[in-house]
Amino acid sequence: MSTESRMLIRALTLLLAASLLTACGRDEPDTEQLSFYAFGTLVELTLHPPGAYDIEQIESAVQDELEVLHRSWHAWEPGSLGRTNELLALQGEFSAPPSVLPLIERGREMEDLSGGLFNPALGKLVAAWGFHQDEPAGPPPDAATLDALLDNPPGMGDIERNGVRLRGTHPDLQLDFGGLAKGLAVERVLELLGELGVEAAIFNAGGDLMTLGRPQERAWRVRIRHPRGGTLGSIELGAGEALFTSGDYERGYDWEGEYIHHVIDPRSGRPSQGVASATVLHHDPALADGAATTLMIAGPEAWPEYARRMGVEYALLVLDDRIEATAGLAERVALDPDHEPLVVRELP
Amino acid sequence: MNPIGLRWGDAVIGALASALVIAAFALAYFPAGGARVLVISQAGAAPQHEPLDRRRTLEVTGPAGITRIEIEPGRARCAESPGYRNICEGSGWLQAHGDIAVSLPNRLTLQVLGSEPGFDSLHY
Repeated sequence: MSTESRMLIRALTLLLAASLLTACGRDEPDTEQLSFYAFGTLVELTLHPPGAYDIEQIESAVQDELEVLHRSWHAWEPGSLGRTNELLALQGEFSAPPSVLPLIERGREMEDLSGGLFNPALGKLVAAWGFHQDEPAGPPPDAATLDALLDNPPGMGDIERNGVRLRGTHPDLQLDFGGLAKGLAVERVLELLGELGVEAAIFNAGGDLMTLGRPQERAWRVRIRHPRGGTLGSIELGAGEALFTSGDYERGYDWEGEYIHHVIDPRSGRPSQGVASATVLHHDPALADGAATTLMIAGPEAWPEYARRMGVEYALLVLDDRIEATAGLAERVALDPDHEPLVVRELP
Repeated sequence: MNPIGLRWGDAVIGALASALVIAAFALAYFPAGGARVLVISQAGAAPQHEPLDRRRTLEVTGPAGITRIEIEPGRARCAESPGYRNICEGSGWLQAHGDIAVSLPNRLTLQVLGSEPGFDSLHY
């Protein structure tokens, strides 16, 4: 055999070996996952690279942090927020628990940005619909109760703040930070992961998630579930991106043939209509959380206006008969082939 | 005279080696995508892997009750699970790589995987 042909065969053999080694490598996951129950939901942590971290320490630290936040921020169980609500109702000045102050400040900001569609001061209205219990249940409020709750309803402006001192100025003021607390909890857990030396991770709390860093060689790959079952598509995420969805399927109950879900429109006092789910991608998880709820309340016609108001460039809404998205998110979501193409809505 | 000095046997060996290389790349980068294994992940427990090789039924007990899982060659589904709106059951047959069903009341996810890399997380 000639020298040239031996060299050619040697090169091909090396290439073959390299490709087979690469094929073997493809089966090795470059992440490791842990899941547990915390903050009232299923929590999943995806870490990269595998084997680089003390998993038990991370799980314990994250679980402890979420337990503290869950107890502090719970809307109807005893805790810091519960105590704050009791004191706000008395309308006298008091020193607020430090853990509640960030919620109040971000709540004010979201109420302003959303033009009042996101209103954490309407806890009494949410409770009247039967959602201040682990298993939501009817009956829904009657017309007289709704009229009373919607006559001069409270807002975040009904809390006076002087340093750490607060005072409620409305008798019906009751704080409920559903639609915001999880976003703030995700923000806190990502800070904690950073403090623990984690460089690349996805923190997923009941389906809402945020990335910390990213693997060197690739983007994060996230599957998106359809609110009516099955999958909607997938998206690749970079570092520091939060993906939050508000949907009618999350909490609800049937009452006399009507499905009652937990996202209450402060304008009508009733569950929002026309949007099955609203998804927001943003670098700020609290804003993504609050904006997802706001867009769902805004409804099929007005949501682009509220997306613009809140500075949301990436949004996707599942309506009864179509899926709409901003141009930014439509470019990034790979829809499964069994769905109709996205309808792109321009922001005004 | 052969300009590069190859004989017919060299050419055959070279062709075979090239075919092997191409086949290896095809196997590595153009997978079939069909589901081969079901991964059952439940909060607080190690993920359970079940090959999708034969028809059978599994039951997984969670805090809200029993989730019944049906497995057939190449696919699996959440046949029955506690939960108000049948969201887990509504996911239907999971048969393409990455298809997933979730039962929040029982704190578990079901995901089928094929030969391509999986997803890092599920947004719902």
